[in-house]
Amino acid sequence: MSFTHLHVSTAFSAHYGVSWPEELAAAAAADGATALACTDRDGLYGTVKHLKACMAAGLDPVVGVDLAVFDDDGDLRTQVGGRVVVLAHGHNSGAGYRALCRLISDAHARTTGKAGGAVPVAVTRAELASRTLHPETLKPVLTVLIGPGSDVGRAMGGRRYLRPRTLFKRWLDAMPPGTVAAEVVSQLSPPGEPLSTAHAVRMLKLAAEHSVPAVLSNAVRYVAEDGAATADVLDSARTLKSLPELSAAPLLQPNGQAWLKSAAQMLQLGKEIMHAAGYGAADLKNLLAQTEALADRCRMDPVTDMGWKQPVVPEASVIGIAGDALAELTQRCEAGIGRRFPGITGKPAEELRSRLEHELRIIDSLGFAAYFLTVAEVSRMIQAMGVRAAARGSGASSLVNYLIDVSQVNPLQHDLIFERFLSRDRATLPDIDIDVESAERHNVYRKIFERFGSERVTLMSMQNGYRARGAVRDAGLALGMEEGEIGDIAKQLWRFSARNFREALEEKPELKEFAGRVGQRDFSGNQQLDLLVDLTERLDRLPRHISMHPCGVILGDATLLDRTPVQPSGLGLPMSQFDKHDMDPMGMLKLDVLGVRMQSAMAFAVREVIRLHPSKAEVVAAGAHPAGPDGTGPDYIAEDGSIDLNAVPLDDEPTYELIRSTHTLGCFQIESPGQRELIGKLAPREFNDLIIDISLFRPGPMKSDMVRPFLEHRHGFAPEVYPHPDLKPVLKETHGVTVFHEQILKTFDVMTGCGLARADEFRRALGNDGLEGRVEEFFRKEARARGYSPEVVDKVWGTLKAFGSFGFCKAHGAAFAVPTYQSAWLKTHHPEAFLAGLWEHDPGMYPKRLLVAEARRLGIPILPLDINRSQAEYRVERVAAGPDRGKLGIRLSLNGIYGLSGTELKRIVAGQPYDSLADLRARSRLSKPSIQRLAQLGAFDSLHRASGGAANRADLVHHLQTLQSRPHRKGIDVIDGQLSLPLGDVELKNLKAVLPAPTLVDTVRAELDLMAVDVSDHLMASHRPLLDRLGVTTADKLLALRNGTEVLVAGVRVATQTPPMRGGRRVVFISIDDGTGCVDSVFFHEAQELAGPLLFGTRLLLIRGTTRRTGPRGISISASMAWDLSRTETLPFPVPASGIPDYPELQPPGPLDGISRNLAITGLGG
Amino acid sequence: MGMFSESVDVVCAPSGQPLELNWAGRHYTVCAEPVRWYERRQWWAEERRAPLGSGPGLVDHEIWRVQVRRADSPDQESLTLDLTRHVGSGRWRLLRIHDALLPSRKPESA
Repeated sequence: MSFTHLHVSTAFSAHYGVSWPEELAAAAAADGATALACTDRDGLYGTVKHLKACMAAGLDPVVGVDLAVFDDDGDLRTQVGGRVVVLAHGHNSGAGYRALCRLISDAHARTTGKAGGAVPVAVTRAELASRTLHPETLKPVLTVLIGPGSDVGRAMGGRRYLRPRTLFKRWLDAMPPGTVAAEVVSQLSPPGEPLSTAHAVRMLKLAAEHSVPAVLSNAVRYVAEDGAATADVLDSARTLKSLPELSAAPLLQPNGQAWLKSAAQMLQLGKEIMHAAGYGAADLKNLLAQTEALADRCRMDPVTDMGWKQPVVPEASVIGIAGDALAELTQRCEAGIGRRFPGITGKPAEELRSRLEHELRIIDSLGFAAYFLTVAEVSRMIQAMGVRAAARGSGASSLVNYLIDVSQVNPLQHDLIFERFLSRDRATLPDIDIDVESAERHNVYRKIFERFGSERVTLMSMQNGYRARGAVRDAGLALGMEEGEIGDIAKQLWRFSARNFREALEEKPELKEFAGRVGQRDFSGNQQLDLLVDLTERLDRLPRHISMHPCGVILGDATLLDRTPVQPSGLGLPMSQFDKHDMDPMGMLKLDVLGVRMQSAMAFAVREVIRLHPSKAEVVAAGAHPAGPDGTGPDYIAEDGSIDLNAVPLDDEPTYELIRSTHTLGCFQIESPGQRELIGKLAPREFNDLIIDISLFRPGPMKSDMVRPFLEHRHGFAPEVYPHPDLKPVLKETHGVTVFHEQILKTFDVMTGCGLARADEFRRALGNDGLEGRVEEFFRKEARARGYSPEVVDKVWGTLKAFGSFGFCKAHGAAFAVPTYQSAWLKTHHPEAFLAGLWEHDPGMYPKRLLVAEARRLGIPILPLDINRSQAEYRVERVAAGPDRGKLGIRLSLNGIYGLSGTELKRIVAGQPYDSLADLRARSRLSKPSIQRLAQLGAFDSLHRASGGAANRADLVHHLQTLQSRPHRKGIDVIDGQLSLPLGDVELKNLKAVLPAPTLVDTVRAELDLMAVDVSDHLMASHRPLLDRLGVTTADKLLALRNGTEVLVAGVRVATQTPPMRGGRRVVFISIDDGTGCVDSVFFHEAQELAGPLLFGTRLLLIRGTTRRTGPRGISISASMAWDLSRTETLPFPVPASGIPDYPELQPPGPLDGISRNLAITGLGG
Repeated sequence: MGMFSESVDVVCAPSGQPLELNWAGRHYTVCAEPVRWYERRQWWAEERRAPLGSGPGLVDHEIWRVQVRRADSPDQESLTLDLTRHVGSGRWRLLRIHDALLPSRKPESA
């Protein structure tokens, strides 16, 4: 006998289900089941994974949802009567699945998409009824299971016999005939409680009484008994109540029996229910038969019901073409040749033609012409909005993409292979990713919805699973632990999977202290900590909620919303319940429209350039640009001074000089410590070098030691080696080292003649246990047949095997290298505008304050906050007076000041300029704390000076404070017209000079506290005497030291990274900034042990280590020990001759002292 | 109703249903059909560990409510007992006695 579970929540029922679809399907199949349902709560979140799992396990999938239904008697907007399971009928050309999708979208339509909304996800009974029949044939396409969670089931407590019956009849009255079944569930809870056999019996009898079919289920939440404890913790996380609280309520599951019981166990359960009901064997048989009959009705055909793997693209009419899509695409490519390759003739023209024909043939055979036209249309639309857009990813391998303006990379020039992107052997929709300015991303989304129609577009979602920090927080909440204690523990968890918590406790030095407390449970009653570790591990990776994917937009035809349920995203636009893994199986066309802050920063910089230099001549002069063909400057600068970044030639020597200097802070992709080290060693001379650099700086190549041989060959330290002369053309550009996917494809092709399309299939099989063996067999046989020696075959196979699975696609590298080059170009020629753009859009990995240091290094003045000059964004400004007179400086923005609201900001800017504080108060209606903060930051200094008052900033702040602490008096009433008297600021003028001016440390502290940026002075400056006493070496002096010198360095943390490393041992990179520059330090295993909790939790660090030369311009520190600089008593002061260490009192309070708020200054990440 | 937790020897039918038991030196037979359910445990307070893969028995335990009579004097009134079976060891413990007439021996309180 086999049994079909029709009510099963997977882990994708967030904060409810415990087990993954694969586990459930495998368990069901092992027990001999032929079908299995997936009925996640509120949506089809796990459905596609369920389909996959069922197909892999040889089961027929059943698809449904567990949905809340509004109480007809209650407030229809907020009150839920209960939950029902709705199953889609199958083998009806998708009618059941369509109805299910639409019903789920109905349930979400009234919600806000924001957390904590008042409106629950639920349908009205009328909505439910209206979806259950086929709109044309009026045959049932859905079945609603009225079970223990329904209003009927919930009314069964106590001795009210009439109530459940009334409610059940109400369902029967409301629903079309043949669409309702009773769900009989006993989880063997104590007699008379919910989910008890007694309740199951009452449901069974209700069904019999009304001649409604009854089905047996176990309302499954986990695959096996073991999941019950996890379900308890999830209940706690969902309800935000601790387990003791839930247990007292009582709101927990009555016991741990909601697992996927075997057919035999379900039969036994059925027997018990029948026995308790006083029914016989025939009735049991009937119950099970009805269960299987419903299961049969709901068996889905993934292909005919759900469109499995059948790509759907927007209708031709929508993308604006009348005829054949391929003909249109061909014609647009032809037009593109004239634009992209003007005047091309001869052999290059022939090559171009043959490549284009090759690509079009493949596109035609896959039927993807409309897809390319769709992407082109989106791309065109974005550019028409005036938004910077650039294709990234393997799409750059396509000449067609280049010709229709989707990509900015010429694949012929960089030798990119189309098959890496698309081939006949790969029927999945290819990925084309478009980077746009991050600040414009939402506008682009809205425009796409507008352009294609909201019935054809939806955002893609993503599943957010538990990681270590969230898991430990929720596990702690479940156990009822103190929030502070949990927070302290969570802070120390640094990027590892929660699944390995216990292992991490033993290994990770920063967890040593916590591990000790876990170990000591016997003595101090810390037994909860041990449970905490176990529960944290249980939560690992379980989905918590879905959210809008950062870039995915799904485009389809008018049937899109029949194929995916949608719900509001936080943005207000609808979002599919499917994630990126579901796209290809469901035939959905996904476009990645990625918001890239660097694109915004660059767009901002270009606008600043034009604002400051509104003509071509001025821009050319300011940026020291070449004279160009006619002596008036290059073509990429227009007459009005606007710069077409995409047209800037990729061979600007000053730009490469900047890159080689490793002063690449702020440049896209090449600003991290590791990248600066690599750039220093590689010393790029041309664009291809940048592509190689970006491709090398990946986990794969770093892990497998490809970088060192490459550099040795590049600089001629070691002769280039090729396994065989035939491979020289393939590997020449990387000096014999295999770096790119493209090279792997060509290697296969050269040595086996397999063709590039098959070669890409082989590449994908590398690293796959099942398939790699077959690839190896083929490779060896064919290569031997072509006369390659066994040694060559061995060697090349070794390389393919090692690098194949994680090499980098050159097309990706090329697409990435474009903004890298462009940002470096802007930094070279227009550093002020570029830095302003960086500040405004904050694209980098470092805290903003580090850019202040970079500005100082570049000699760019940072202009203080000024109530009349500062705007809502950073501005480049010509300095009017003082030592920097005539230079371009960057004026700080009013945006991002702690406590200053968006409305206040708007009002300040709208009312500028102000002639007095009274004027400011009257017109901007700033709150008193905001005025005081602005005063602390010096925003009124210029007003103050203008008033001729003798007091200083401290006096003003004090004055404002006393104003504030006085009992409330009625505003500063201003009578109309009074302000027009040019009195100057009487208030400021009359301030008494009493207090000493704020010290530099005070000023810097205020800046850090309120803006997270130290502008007036570097925050380390006041620590200088202490550092001198310790004998610390500054960053600018390091380069002059010999390799292997032991030094002490100190500074504020700016970055922490734990990149994957060769051999798998964790290495921690910590960069600190000491005011003279950045020091990059690396902590290997022993140093991590010694530094322990300081690794991730400390702002100011003192580090001891030895210098490590990384290139002609690069040096880093291999750390041996670290200290927390703010704990003076622990620091290693040199012992004086007297032998008695004297702890100096010379540590004045530093700028960070007393600020406990988490400031965005330290680059702690996570 | 008294609360206990003391060891009981139980003889079961192949289906797992209790038939006879030895408790406090006396032999009892089950005289009516027993009722079985699973009851929640406060595992977070009672257990020190709950690792993945602990298997059944962490969150709930199986309870059998049986009516028994002394085997040697079947005329005496029956007792209603709640028994639980430990998942790991398979051992039975007596959890509760429901009827007013307690046996002659004074139980230790739980």
